[in-house]
Amino acid sequence: MQRYVVRRVAALAVTLLFVSLLVFVVVRVLPGDPALIILGLEASPDSVARVRQALGLDQPIPVQYARWVGQALRGDLGRSIQYDLPVGTLILSRLTVTLPLTLLAAGFMIAAAIPLGVFAATRHRRWGDYLTMTLSQLGVAVPGFWAGLLLILLFSVRLGWMQSGGFDGWGAGLWHGLRSLLLPAVALGLFQFAVLARTTRSALLEVLREEYVKTARAKGVAERTVLFRHALRNALIPIVTVAGIQLGQLLAGSIILESVFYLPGLGRLTLAAISARDLPVVQGVVLFVACMIVIVNAAVDILYGILDPRIRYG
Amino acid sequence: MTRLRLLTVAVLLAALIAVPAAAPAQTPGSLVIQVPTEPPGLDLTSNPSSAIAAVVFDNVQEGLIKIDRHGKMVPWLAERWYTSDNKTYTFFLRRNVRFSNGREMKSADVKFALDRAVNPETKHPYRVQYDAIQDVIVKDDYTVTVALKKIDATFLYTLARQGSVIYPREAVDTLKSQPVGTGPFTVSEWVRGDRIVLLKNKDYWVKGLPKLDRVVYRFIPDPNSTLAAIKSGDIDVSAFGIGPESVDELKKDPRLQVIVGDTTNDVTLSMNNSKKPYSDKRVRLAITHAIDKEEVLKGAMFGYGKILGSNVDPTNPFFVDVSKRVGYDPAKAKKLLAEAGYPNGFDAVFKVAPQYYYTVRSAEVVSSQLAKVGIRATIQQIEWGQWLSQVFCLAPCQTPDYDMSIIGHAEAWDIGNFANPKYYFRWDSPAFQKLYADSQVTVDEKSRRALYVKMQEMLADEAPAVWLYMHPRLVIAKKGVTGMWKDQPAPVLDLSEVAWQK
Repeated sequence: MQRYVVRRVAALAVTLLFVSLLVFVVVRVLPGDPALIILGLEASPDSVARVRQALGLDQPIPVQYARWVGQALRGDLGRSIQYDLPVGTLILSRLTVTLPLTLLAAGFMIAAAIPLGVFAATRHRRWGDYLTMTLSQLGVAVPGFWAGLLLILLFSVRLGWMQSGGFDGWGAGLWHGLRSLLLPAVALGLFQFAVLARTTRSALLEVLREEYVKTARAKGVAERTVLFRHALRNALIPIVTVAGIQLGQLLAGSIILESVFYLPGLGRLTLAAISARDLPVVQGVVLFVACMIVIVNAAVDILYGILDPRIRYG
Repeated sequence: MTRLRLLTVAVLLAALIAVPAAAPAQTPGSLVIQVPTEPPGLDLTSNPSSAIAAVVFDNVQEGLIKIDRHGKMVPWLAERWYTSDNKTYTFFLRRNVRFSNGREMKSADVKFALDRAVNPETKHPYRVQYDAIQDVIVKDDYTVTVALKKIDATFLYTLARQGSVIYPREAVDTLKSQPVGTGPFTVSEWVRGDRIVLLKNKDYWVKGLPKLDRVVYRFIPDPNSTLAAIKSGDIDVSAFGIGPESVDELKKDPRLQVIVGDTTNDVTLSMNNSKKPYSDKRVRLAITHAIDKEEVLKGAMFGYGKILGSNVDPTNPFFVDVSKRVGYDPAKAKKLLAEAGYPNGFDAVFKVAPQYYYTVRSAEVVSSQLAKVGIRATIQQIEWGQWLSQVFCLAPCQTPDYDMSIIGHAEAWDIGNFANPKYYFRWDSPAFQKLYADSQVTVDEKSRRALYVKMQEMLADEAPAVWLYMHPRLVIAKKGVTGMWKDQPAPVLDLSEVAWQK
């Protein structure tokens, strides 16, 4: 296990180094000069030059990169051009929206997809199966931003039950905060829910055809026990793999839904930072998200070992 | 039994959700207003962004002179002024005007703000406009004299601009996050990425104003989300961002009012005058004659907005309608193209930024009109940042990389752009430059007007760019919101007189 952890940490370091290099180069190759975007249409050339200098953009790219990595290693991701605040502080404050949103969406996705997948698999090629699969087909087909708009139209414009967007902060109360995140979480989780339900169904169907399931049934084991203790547990490996990947996708999907629901989260921060060419923020966020995804992947690997005792790392 | 349990949970959940939302509190004295862009800082003296002005200008900080809702310059922090030779101006300040930090505004603050604008170290975005200032002299606490190097006909207008607000010297370091001024409101809270909250300045020097106690600016970039927010009542006013396509539908909503007004935003088709074939006046005129502006306004803006009569916006006192000189005439356009050596037309590319939806829609209509005279124009949508560096082309860009583009020029009094050969039109006309330079040192209204008329006529005859239409001001507000400005003669969102009808 120890060797495994060391290997994992080393892999994390290499991944992050690679990501940092990639994002650094990409944001600099992007056409569009941050100084121009900051100053707008009425800027004079000498004010542009001054701003470029203040941002350190007049330095050669390798020098800029070395400086950035050096600071990042000391935990300093730089300062936002737009907000004039430390990037780390910005990310943390936006995380108070995006993290609960992603977790809520993931919770919705798992809580809805696995039971539905099981339901469909046990009613293979019967109406229950077809209904569930039609439902999930719909989920795959409807883009998240559109689902978001439809939910807003129904629940806030027509019925007036929920606010159409915005987030007043956790200071306004836990329930108030959760309510603001509910519609976006459903819209965000919809696509992933549909994918996961289909995965669960086919994984379970596969296992249900196995000989040992037949044996268990022949022995007279109760169907519930067969399904949940024998079949589902063995079907969980592909399900967990897919769910792990989906967590990362949920994080990415939040970029669009945070704009639809105008939530002050990490996604909108990223979008705004890209169009404003707020390079330190773009770099910081990408690095941070890459870090999160690597950690989730590691967690999934460890989960494999728990689910299937035959899998051992060493 | 499991099913029963599931059902119970489902019913409970539904009930929880259905508890009516803490009814979008329409607290009297409080207003929630949507703006599409979050300001990049709140310092009017560091950045020309109109998103900053929408929050700070005239709401938090004010200048010596103000542009009122009719576009007229009115004495503001300066009660009156006096000049005998148009080179020395003496301003008499209003007494008992306090900054929101409690200190009284005095001449020394005016000197500090103007000196700082002139100083190149400050990085003031409009520094050029203060070039004429030679010296600022404090006569006494309420009298200050500005000596100019040369006559500058736009000097008083410069003092009414957003970059000329007066702020206390001791608060200069917090301009970017916590601007202090003499305005009707103070900045209470800025939740980055979400909202800015302004509170009433109880000691505001104009008695009875502001009428609101609290203003919340919400940043909602997406037009669909804005539409949903105004329809569900989560916001009280949408200031910018709802497109003309939604206006007719919103007008039918009995809970809402639609305010349609004028702006100084001239939507302009620009041509790269330094590039063939646009360097040929006949080609530029052909393009001008080929465009049916009426149809562009209908197709792109659902008829909202106004056809412009010249390259100067209609709120400008020197505006003259010169549109007859370049009317819609496709036959003439074809003839001009043939004369210029393009009897079969040519290929062209429109570079437009979809961030401003009207630019793409206008380009679509215009390119179909150009096709009728043989100019085959394709539309290339590029992101705003790229537009700024490829089309607008400031340093380090040397030569603009575009054929034609469309963008709104929101600045009032911006005819000088045509006198700048480095501007992205790249139109270099010494005759026009001379006219403009003369207009800058002519203070006699009649002679100055004559020069402006000449300039507008010349722009029609030379066609360095095509003026299309004035972008309308479209404000959507709940019924009961009063006091919003109808027109927008300056980049400002003045909320001092806004109130809820009782």
